[in-house]
Amino acid sequence: MSGDPDEELVRRVGAGDPVAVQSLVARKLPRILALAARMLGDATEAEDVAQETFIRIWRNASRWQRGNARFDTWVHRVALNLCYDRLRRRREWVTDDLPDVVDPASLPGAPPLVEEHRVAWALQNIAPRQREAIVLVYYQEMSNMEAAATMQISVDALESLLSRGRRSLQSILTRDGIDE
Amino acid sequence: MDAERFAALAAAYGGDLRRWPQAEQTAAAILGRGEEAQAVLRGAGTLDAMLDRHHVKAPERALHSSILRAADGHFSRRRRQRFWWFGLGLAGVGLAGAIAGLALVTVVTPDAQSDHHILEANVTAFGDAGPDGDMIEEDL
Repeated sequence: MSGDPDEELVRRVGAGDPVAVQSLVARKLPRILALAARMLGDATEAEDVAQETFIRIWRNASRWQRGNARFDTWVHRVALNLCYDRLRRRREWVTDDLPDVVDPASLPGAPPLVEEHRVAWALQNIAPRQREAIVLVYYQEMSNMEAAATMQISVDALESLLSRGRRSLQSILTRDGIDE
Repeated sequence: MDAERFAALAAAYGGDLRRWPQAEQTAAAILGRGEEAQAVLRGAGTLDAMLDRHHVKAPERALHSSILRAADGHFSRRRRQRFWWFGLGLAGVGLAGAIAGLALVTVVTPDAQSDHHILEANVTAFGDAGPDGDMIEEDL
């Protein structure tokens, strides 16, 4: 892994530089919010996770040391842990098994979901670890090495989660007739 | 890279070679020119197109401001704590200096004799000079 593009900015944040604080928020907030929104499927909870993630950043910035991980990887891990706390509170099972899927649009009297919402809903109906892998690689545009480091798994394990996750999504979305 | 690995990568990373592992992109691009490989990429691209429809709203200004306020509060508190610790440190150094000075004065300066010792010395020095018990009896 080469140089960390955030290292200097984090050092300045740790020193309490308000300009660096603003830059870091502008740089990371959209990524953290998007990650949490796709992991949780709830905009309000995603905002809470984003705020809590930044509180942890402020607390740790002055003593943050790169070690083996990039700052962005560390931030993603913090945000994901907060997401999993919330998922656990919802009593979701953190397994790789495909849960039972009930299409809300198929319920009596329910309006049909627009395609965008249907994809969001399908993401919520695959196993969280599969969702995490897809969100990191597809939406957060992490390399396979970065995503595996964030998830603390091997690249082979990441590829397995990605394949199964994509297969599950394809199955859900195709069944719901989203593909033309 | 063989066709099997190509299909496995497409199943994991989708139909866009830019998402594939960097080390395998060149080989994949060469293999991807074939008809069979093109079909595999098209199949994976179908799901990519679906995923592309899922957008997330940009952060609202209120959230942005709230995070900046929290940062300001945190760093202000930390500055105040540092100030107090610095003050306490200075006070500690001053107190340590005072104690050291007092100890030095105590060690270097010899003890003044107490009144008790002076009284004892007087008794010893002039004890015999006092009126004799027998003489007093005679006077009576």
